[in-house]
Amino acid sequence: MTAFFRTFREGSGFDAVLILCAVAYLLVFSAFPLVYNVIMSFQSVDMFSITDFNRPWVGWQNYIDVINRPEAWLIVKNTAIFVLLSIVFQLGLGFGLALLFQQDFPAATFLRGLFLAGWIMPGLVVGTVWKWIFAGDFGVLNYVLNHLGIVTGKIFWLSDPAYSLYAVIIANIWLGIPFNMILLSVGLAAIPRDIYEAAELDGATAFQRFFSMTLPMMRATLGAVVSLGVILTLQQFDLIAGLTKGGPANSSNVAQYWSWQLSFETYEISAGSVIAVMMIAVVIVVATIYVRSTTNEQSA
Amino acid sequence: MNQIEIDDLNKHYGAYHALRDINLKIPAGSFVALIGPSGCGKSTLLRTIAGLEKFTGGTLRIAGEVMNTRPPRERDVAMVFQSYALYPHMDVERNMTYSLRLKRRPREEILERAKSAANTLGLTALLSRKPRELSGGQRQRVAMGRAIVRNPKVFLFDEPLSNLDAELRVRMRGEIRRLHERLGATSVYVTHDQIEAMTMADYVVVLRAGRIEQQGAPLDLYDRPANRFVAGFIGSPSMNFLPARVAEDGRTAILGEADGQRIDLGREVEPGREILVGMRPEHLQIRPASDATGLQATVELLESTGSMTFMEARLAGAPITVSQAGRMAAARGEPVRLQIDPENLRLFDPATEAAI
Repeated sequence: MTAFFRTFREGSGFDAVLILCAVAYLLVFSAFPLVYNVIMSFQSVDMFSITDFNRPWVGWQNYIDVINRPEAWLIVKNTAIFVLLSIVFQLGLGFGLALLFQQDFPAATFLRGLFLAGWIMPGLVVGTVWKWIFAGDFGVLNYVLNHLGIVTGKIFWLSDPAYSLYAVIIANIWLGIPFNMILLSVGLAAIPRDIYEAAELDGATAFQRFFSMTLPMMRATLGAVVSLGVILTLQQFDLIAGLTKGGPANSSNVAQYWSWQLSFETYEISAGSVIAVMMIAVVIVVATIYVRSTTNEQSA
Repeated sequence: MNQIEIDDLNKHYGAYHALRDINLKIPAGSFVALIGPSGCGKSTLLRTIAGLEKFTGGTLRIAGEVMNTRPPRERDVAMVFQSYALYPHMDVERNMTYSLRLKRRPREEILERAKSAANTLGLTALLSRKPRELSGGQRQRVAMGRAIVRNPKVFLFDEPLSNLDAELRVRMRGEIRRLHERLGATSVYVTHDQIEAMTMADYVVVLRAGRIEQQGAPLDLYDRPANRFVAGFIGSPSMNFLPARVAEDGRTAILGEADGQRIDLGREVEPGREILVGMRPEHLQIRPASDATGLQATVELLESTGSMTFMEARLAGAPITVSQAGRMAAARGEPVRLQIDPENLRLFDPATEAAI
């Protein structure tokens, strides 16, 4: 017994405890829900069988059902557009701002800090605020667009199926820019200044320095930001709940919100699990590509 | 012809006056060292020539053209950075040829020039390596190669050897100097190491607090320092300075106050004047205490490197250093006599520090 306690004092036992804590946490809060969810996606689960693990096994039937639903392809398309446009603009604008704040001008650091204010707001609050901005009759966005002469008449951003998805995307881009900007700022700050000076002396213009120094040296950071961006965008739920709830007629619905609707609004829990499993698969692919790209970076 | 001409150049950082009235002419093909203690403005002056720093007044000409507001890339100067500043994502060849690729030179020419530079610097086997796979010395060579490939009007070196170990530093010193001669280029070299400046340069500029204290050939600075600062900065170990007063005869000085030892100045100085007597450690000769002439001193410490011996002694109440080739037979606390040829004495005004 004393020998047992001595291993704690000398370190190896303590190391084991630390590992056990981490593994136990992962098992209980990550692995178990994940596996349980995968199992549910192969079972027929309804309100009556939800508390009983011994449910009828239906194999791929749930998957076939979900894919064959009439709204399925619309939602897949919406999700793809949602992720793609969100990432492109969050990254583009975030990178632009990061480059801007990298310049030396008065209050640059302070102003950059202010940008984080938008990011720390809860998605539901952001959704509500943007709902006012987007409002068809009295919304400030329509007011501005009309007065600038860009459009005439009112756009019903949230209730017109042609616009609703893009309204959600615009709000999500706004919400994601500060996060992108901060991560990219950190990456930019890590590039030594004298490399730019050397490039300048070698004859590179600002434009050439950006493409031959900044971009290649930001590869790992950009990969990380894109991967995280894809994952966070696929998690974006409360903003949609606050703005359109996926409507009208699923025109702004995306996979993660659909999964929640099926599981917790219509209680088609198997179908909700199926979507969650498919999304996990996508996230794993993205994460793998990211890890691969960064390890190649190091070994190259 | 002067490759670089600097007239009345001044630079302010806000209220801080970083460079004061710099006037400097660098003939084509010469090797100039900028030297001084840290914060003296030597790197700032180099970066100003490169165009990486703006200045507030004066004129800078490179090859006769006024460069005051030209961006670095239009000045045709190459710089070797202290940190080397290699492009980490490019291999050695691409690091060296980046400037040529920007100029869209033909592929064969780029390859040719990369090969010839690599050949000169012994980098041929490393052309496809990335900077992180190279040792410090190899990185240093790549940084040099990047400059050579361009065949620029001026080479600028910003303490390029300070990150290398002592042995490699000595070897690179010779190599840079030989390279300079072979290329016939104009080089400006910043260092805080006066040995580097003395051995490599044919013209040395000593800076302090943003001002040029003295400029000239290395041995001129050693033989005829314009002031106490230059006298103390050039030469190793540093010159000894002893306060003294010129005696009534105007040809000797009385060292210290209490001691009253007399030293022959070898020339006429205004009697009664307070002076600083400068004596280089290597000019002092050690004689036995039994000698009738010479300054009386007491040995405090002996350090021998084998080929050289350094003696710390006390003379007229002040600590002085004596260096001598070979060994010396003296022990701590022993009295000795020190002799110096009056020719080798340097006299300074204690108030203005200027040479007398």
